[in-house]
Amino acid sequence: MKDELFTMATEIPGLSPEARARWQHEMERTLLRMKHFAEMVMNPQEPVVGPTPRQEIYRKNKSRLYRYASTRTHRTPLLFVPNLGISRPYIFDLMAHGSFVEHMTQQGFDFYLVDWGVFGEEDNGLTVEDAVTKILPRLAQKALESSGASEMSVLGYCMGAPLSACFVATHPEFPAKNYINMAGPIDFAHVGLFGLWLDPRFFDVDKYVDTLGSVPPDMIKAGFKLLKPTMDLSAGLNLWWNLWNPEYVSGFNALNKWANEYVAFPGEFFRQWVREFYQENRLIRGELVMGGTKVNLARITCPVLAVGAREDNIAPPGCVKPLIEAVGSTDREYVEMPGGHISLIAGRGASVHCWPTVASWLAARS
Amino acid sequence: MADTGGQQLFDLWKKQVEDGTQQWLKMMGTPQAQTLDPQAFWRPFMDHCMAGWAKVMTQGTASPDLMGQWKQFLDQWIAAWSKVLEQAMGTEAFAKVIGTQLEGFLNAAGPAKKAAEQHIEATLGGLGIPSRSQVTGIARQIVQLEEKLEGVEDRLEAVLKRLNDLAAALRQEPR
Repeated sequence: MKDELFTMATEIPGLSPEARARWQHEMERTLLRMKHFAEMVMNPQEPVVGPTPRQEIYRKNKSRLYRYASTRTHRTPLLFVPNLGISRPYIFDLMAHGSFVEHMTQQGFDFYLVDWGVFGEEDNGLTVEDAVTKILPRLAQKALESSGASEMSVLGYCMGAPLSACFVATHPEFPAKNYINMAGPIDFAHVGLFGLWLDPRFFDVDKYVDTLGSVPPDMIKAGFKLLKPTMDLSAGLNLWWNLWNPEYVSGFNALNKWANEYVAFPGEFFRQWVREFYQENRLIRGELVMGGTKVNLARITCPVLAVGAREDNIAPPGCVKPLIEAVGSTDREYVEMPGGHISLIAGRGASVHCWPTVASWLAARS
Repeated sequence: MADTGGQQLFDLWKKQVEDGTQQWLKMMGTPQAQTLDPQAFWRPFMDHCMAGWAKVMTQGTASPDLMGQWKQFLDQWIAAWSKVLEQAMGTEAFAKVIGTQLEGFLNAAGPAKKAAEQHIEATLGGLGIPSRSQVTGIARQIVQLEEKLEGVEDRLEAVLKRLNDLAAALRQEPR
């Protein structure tokens, strides 16, 4: 079939050799597109995710602490705190040669990942306060013990940033060497569409939690799809365009698996998260109380880096940057990178922009 | 170049899209509607598309570049729509609409969920099978038990540390 098409291309009258070569090239790609499409439909392969070797250090209820060992050229290990609920953390170690975890371990940082886990109905009573004052301190302490280090850097991504900032600010006994906020909302007055949709005038969080008990994965999915309604169309179009490229296809499969695996929010967690963070903006106002202690971000005195993504519509730069003014550190820096909320930390762009920036900033302070 | 009839049709379609967008934004009741310039959304990809067509017409012979042009056109079309939708969804009117929809859903789902749970609970109870709430209750107790064990573990570690400190202090004390 391929040869016939090529023959057809050569027989178009008046076709220059250059145009003929381009036609052949395009036809070859189209054939590959069809081949890969047929493979995807007829014989779908489960993508392999999370390729970097790891060791489970500790478990608490559904949450796990994993260690990704490195050659440890830097003395201070890194504790990575991602979002609780919404999605699974394997996006940070999506595939070989395309993994933030792999990059950081190759740079010589022992990497500890907090996996909050998938909470069930029995965990609906779990609050943000529980996460900050019970789960995170324990996992952080276990990470510190496991590493044998005297200090540890903390990196919060997305919702993990306000959670870990609350933890660092209220636990002065934890020896935080450096703190990084990556696309984490701090000032919820500038949090974009979610901030508007969750405004108390339009969204009754009590009624929601009292009725449903938790936030089911389908609801979370609907919320995120609504945030960018053309995303699926755009992804589908780009897939078709790049379908000839097996590397793109395998990357797409892995990302698509992650993008369709949503994780429920425990009900009380969602209630506190929406009310105290989104609706009342207590964190930046210094009115948030965790475990009986007021969260004062000025108590974060270690070096701080905040990283915002220009196209981020979940945590726009305007809600990330205010951390820099709020902390008590003298060594503090804000950088803005190209990309969106996910492409900041996963994908080709991240490997060029974000990962090296974070690694070099940390290396100078670890 | 494209013929005059084609150009007229294209202009008509472009005007319709722009008018539709303007009307839609007005309907959403946004004060931004007065200041928005919908042409600004559509102009880049319209121009690009026109340029692409013109290129195809002047080339005379069909070229695979057409595929690339078409992809670019679609990308810009999606980007323009995305921008328009984002602006529309960023209005209070939209937030109110989804809030009302959600409230309606909760009003319907609440009693239905409660009735279904009661029915299932009664059925399973009749069959002597543990219900969902009972299983959840046991799981919750296990979680609480784990927390208590952690508390005991912490206290034991603290006692052990204190004993070690005392032992070390005793070893250092001159006899």
